[in-house]
Amino acid sequence: MSTATLSPERVLRDLQTQWETLAHEEAKSGGVLRACSMTLVIAARNVDDALDARQIAGLLMRVHPSRAIVVHSGKGDFDARVFAECWKPLGRAQQICSEGIEIIAGQGGYAEVARFLVPLRVPDLPVVLWCRGSGPTESTGYHHLYPLADKVIFDTNNVTDADESMRRLRRLHAYGMRVADLHWTRLGGWREVVAHLFDNGFRADEVRSARITYGGDSTSTCGRYMEAWVRSSLPLARVNMEPAYGAGGLESLTMSTPQGDLTVARAENHSLTIKGRGLDYRSGLPSTSEPTLMREELSILGADNVYERVLNA
Amino acid sequence: MEYALQTTCGTLENMASAANPFSDPLRFERRVPECTIVIFGANGDLTKRKLLPALYRLAHDRRLPETFSIIGNSRTAMTDEAFREKMREAVVEFSEDTEFDAALWERFGKNLYYIAGDMTDPGLYDALAEKAAATKQKNLLFYLSTQPSYYEIVVDGLAHAKLNLSTDGWRRIIVEKPFGHDLASAHKLNTHLQQVFPERETYRIDHYLGKETVQNIFGFRFGNGIFEPLWNRRYINQIQITAAESIGVEGRGAYYQEAGALRDMIQNHLLQVMATIAMEPSAVFESDAVRDERAKLLRSIRIMKPSDVPRFAVAGQYKGFREEEGVNPLAQTDTYAAATFYVDNWRWAGVPFFIRSGKKLPKRVTDIAIQFKAAPLALFGDGSGEPNTRPNLLILRIQPEEGISLRFLSKEPGEGMSLRPVSMDFNYGTSFGERSPSAYETLLLDAMQGDATLYTRQDMVEASWRVIQPILEDWGNRKFPFPNYEPGSWGPAEADAMLGRLGLRWRSS
Repeated sequence: MSTATLSPERVLRDLQTQWETLAHEEAKSGGVLRACSMTLVIAARNVDDALDARQIAGLLMRVHPSRAIVVHSGKGDFDARVFAECWKPLGRAQQICSEGIEIIAGQGGYAEVARFLVPLRVPDLPVVLWCRGSGPTESTGYHHLYPLADKVIFDTNNVTDADESMRRLRRLHAYGMRVADLHWTRLGGWREVVAHLFDNGFRADEVRSARITYGGDSTSTCGRYMEAWVRSSLPLARVNMEPAYGAGGLESLTMSTPQGDLTVARAENHSLTIKGRGLDYRSGLPSTSEPTLMREELSILGADNVYERVLNA
Repeated sequence: MEYALQTTCGTLENMASAANPFSDPLRFERRVPECTIVIFGANGDLTKRKLLPALYRLAHDRRLPETFSIIGNSRTAMTDEAFREKMREAVVEFSEDTEFDAALWERFGKNLYYIAGDMTDPGLYDALAEKAAATKQKNLLFYLSTQPSYYEIVVDGLAHAKLNLSTDGWRRIIVEKPFGHDLASAHKLNTHLQQVFPERETYRIDHYLGKETVQNIFGFRFGNGIFEPLWNRRYINQIQITAAESIGVEGRGAYYQEAGALRDMIQNHLLQVMATIAMEPSAVFESDAVRDERAKLLRSIRIMKPSDVPRFAVAGQYKGFREEEGVNPLAQTDTYAAATFYVDNWRWAGVPFFIRSGKKLPKRVTDIAIQFKAAPLALFGDGSGEPNTRPNLLILRIQPEEGISLRFLSKEPGEGMSLRPVSMDFNYGTSFGERSPSAYETLLLDAMQGDATLYTRQDMVEASWRVIQPILEDWGNRKFPFPNYEPGSWGPAEADAMLGRLGLRWRSS
């Protein structure tokens, strides 16, 4: 089937029919509440990934109810089908449902999908595109979808060239696109611990130098982000990044002040230790599961000044 | 002088926060400063059911510093270990929507301390000062979760040990309601508190104001452009505020017979809700600006003349109250109270505010119903041939199904133009699937961060006592033919008559 025979109008009609069916089925048990605050377009890597994406969309809808449109380049012709993700809050009779559309790109690829998606966006609500598991250098086909979105979310966790990925993100941002990177979001726990040190008495102008240690074969965007964040926050301090032993990822951040060093370091059980200048304690890190990261990113639909500052640092 | 130093500390604290180059308010909240909270009445129900679960949840949400500590006090002899165990059990039992995390508790629980002692004993406060010094925290927050008769005693004890003073940190106090039992006693308590703690460090807690849905009244009114133009006497016909409970006094008979519904609910919670509904928008959303507007509204409520009270206020008592444990068989306690208030300002002149609260009513519900004026002309019928001008109703539900509903008329499907009322619903819990913080989480966090927006101020407390004082005096001089309503009903017939005289009636909530 091609887009010529499969029209967006038909998909919208199918959605309407789905709501009527749901309402009919649930009429006796409290009805259905239709919830929608955005269009979330998820570009999945393949059929299996699309299944995972649907599950995550189901989790996200509790906080960010949306029309989820899952797109993948599975085998076969261009096709689209509708689905609903529902949940019943504890102790309530009413089901809350969000609607979804799964689209198989087929031969026409993402250029055809982009045209098809235009009327499927929910009017007057933001559109977010999530390029699952890929950085801007790998999401080549997805670029057709960028113009549809108010925000595009990448994930540079597994990119091979961190510097090139960041260059590409900077370029997209310079073109006026609002971009986000889940690998930056993963840094939230570290950044929160560091920020709180400065909420509670430490002064930025006391820091003479900062040393970031990083394990693994090469520095990923995560290390680059950390370095840029510290450097842009402490413009008067000398900031170095050094390799360290370890499996990979951030190992520590040490800030030197005339009163002594203060070190935040990775510890076991997904936690950090904070030591120096009279402090010695451990802080648990928040979850970095994809639904958690996406929940955070979908909460930020306007300008993300800190990320943009770091990206362009 | 000491107060001036505290102000300087507070200002520096705020400046430091503003200057924190690592802050990222979109991603994470500012953590509260390192501090110790001292709870008087730590063996009581409030501590176990509300305070500890709220503080544990704040720790769970990473809102508290790792060094945050709690010192509990009550008369019961207990070791730190025994106190920790007791509080652990309370957290497990009363944290309704938070899974217990043993690793988190290990970190949180080790900073719990206990000190036994009689609050009338000055030695307790010296020992407390030592214990507080051992926690090495510059900032101390005192929480009075005791019987009100101890408030002044505790405050004097804190002053005796100079625990209210500091040169390098803040000292704050949270006082639970009731703030007095009438205007005179409230004024006396306020005067006493202010001799030891300045007003800006005194946090009078009214947990209703900490509820997400009460806070959402601000968002609803001042965040949307379409409602505020209608929010006045020109478009609104009446406002009804209902706080109904289906249960009775449930073992609190001895306390409740001294308080009654008017004191327990209307004087504090419901007048504060009314003030939030009716206040003018503040220029900025800052503590004093918001509280100034609330206070102004409370001062604008018309004070009843003694001769008005029988017409504008109704007392009720449910059948069976006098048989409750600990209750005087001749008690004149109002387990139901209703009143009609008017606000004498340009916005609300002539609009009645009906407030009612009671026990053993048909269901547990707290809501605010804003009834708009009917359409001036009925063009359409309601199916029976009668003209339909049923007024629009906006309902702000505070509990249990927090949300907002708008009732309007819509054409019935089919031939003709018959109209039927329909409801457009927003459900707070379901539109935002995320759990809402409890009122105590919000309020404790605010107090630790120095934000008093959701706390009541001396002038607000006294203004609301001034509003109900004539009712209290009239009821104190009358002998009511109690009981006068059946459990499970919507209260005494006199309450219906109060509205009936204006050609109105209570909605069925």
